[in-house]
Amino acid sequence: MTLLPLLPTVLFEKLANTLLKKDAQSPERLRRLAGKRIRLKLKELPFTTTVSVDDAGIYISTADSDDVDCCISTELGVLPELQDTANLTRLIKADQLDIDGDPMLAQQLVGLFKSLDVDWEGELANTLGDAPAHWLMTLWRKSRSHVEKRLEESKRWFKGVVTDEKQLLPTREEFNEFKDNMQQLRAKVERLQRQFGERKS
Amino acid sequence: MNDRKDDSIDFGYQKVARSEKKSLVANVFQSVAAKYDVMNDLMSFGIHRLWKRYTIDCSGVRKGMKVLDIAGGTGDLTAQFSRRVGPEGEVVLADINDAMLKVGRDKLRDRGVVGNVRYVQADAEELPFDDNSFDIITIAFGLRNVTDKDKALRSMLRVLKPGGRLLILEFSKPVSATLNQAYDFYSFNILPKMGQVVANDADSYQYLAESIRMHPDQETLKSMMETAGYEKVDYQNMTGGVVALHRGYKF
Repeated sequence: MTLLPLLPTVLFEKLANTLLKKDAQSPERLRRLAGKRIRLKLKELPFTTTVSVDDAGIYISTADSDDVDCCISTELGVLPELQDTANLTRLIKADQLDIDGDPMLAQQLVGLFKSLDVDWEGELANTLGDAPAHWLMTLWRKSRSHVEKRLEESKRWFKGVVTDEKQLLPTREEFNEFKDNMQQLRAKVERLQRQFGERKS
Repeated sequence: MNDRKDDSIDFGYQKVARSEKKSLVANVFQSVAAKYDVMNDLMSFGIHRLWKRYTIDCSGVRKGMKVLDIAGGTGDLTAQFSRRVGPEGEVVLADINDAMLKVGRDKLRDRGVVGNVRYVQADAEELPFDDNSFDIITIAFGLRNVTDKDKALRSMLRVLKPGGRLLILEFSKPVSATLNQAYDFYSFNILPKMGQVVANDADSYQYLAESIRMHPDQETLKSMMETAGYEKVDYQNMTGGVVALHRGYKF
């Protein structure tokens, strides 16, 4: 059990540091976060993950129990929602998230990788040569644009079928109206409960 | 266990004079030094890298710390510590065997691990360092070769700073009887043959298997550490107890 989470952790750490090394701006970004430590406790996993940053890269540990600058306890499904700071208060109130320490640190850490700007064509050229690298990257860009276009078309078609043609789902406008009505109803129920409670006492 | 204060001591399954053990162990490592890394990968199927990595993760190493890697051999732990302590810190790779030290020094220099690493030929029983001088001490797969383990544990405690920790990574006793049987078969039938084929030295790998069996088990080593003066001593079994990581603090 001790070693089980170690292999993916080591591989992920290696990949992350390799990517960071490929961006000339990484040392500057790493310097801003150097010395910071963040811990992630996911309910679904039997171990915690601690990420430490220094000016050379990141270290990921599943056996670190020393102090950290920020400790996040949450669930796997909640992770994507953490990207938007607007969700934090709601998630904390719903007991789906607990943050101890600097909440901005996690976003800064994610930002370290989001802002990566790797010259993949240059990287490929180093191993394959200039012409094949250029041909591969052009092919990749064209394929990606084609796939994105087709995906967008499919989404539009599917939305038309389920909302307009077959009317299986409400449109966005209908859903927003329903949401507003629900909020008003909830407010009314809460008011009534309060009034009822006051009369009872 | 095998550290009785009489004139003989275990060298694998043999009994030898206490004064002889150091030179016999030295001969073993002199013989295997060149193929040490290849054999480690082969014998453990590469898992020794994960055992060592876990040791690093449990060490609490930070920038600027001073680390002593005893019986550091070919420098696997030293390389990782060196990166983590940074230029403000220092890692001392100590080994009693000059052949191992030389292989380690060459390997680390080839990998560009320079600047904050010092190489010292030293006996774990009489460490040539000032009192309270290291934040972390590690000894990976080295303690079982030490003649007087209690003396070595006390010597390490002396050079450890208050608040510092000692990590002992060592072969131990598998917790399951089935695993123990399979492990015995592997150690005494396959391992020496691998040693013969790869390193042209079956005897050294026979000694390795025997010395592992003669090494104190998890609980015994824990109580030896406590007797030596370490506090908050604990251990974690890895790979079913084939290897255990013992950790103790000096307060």
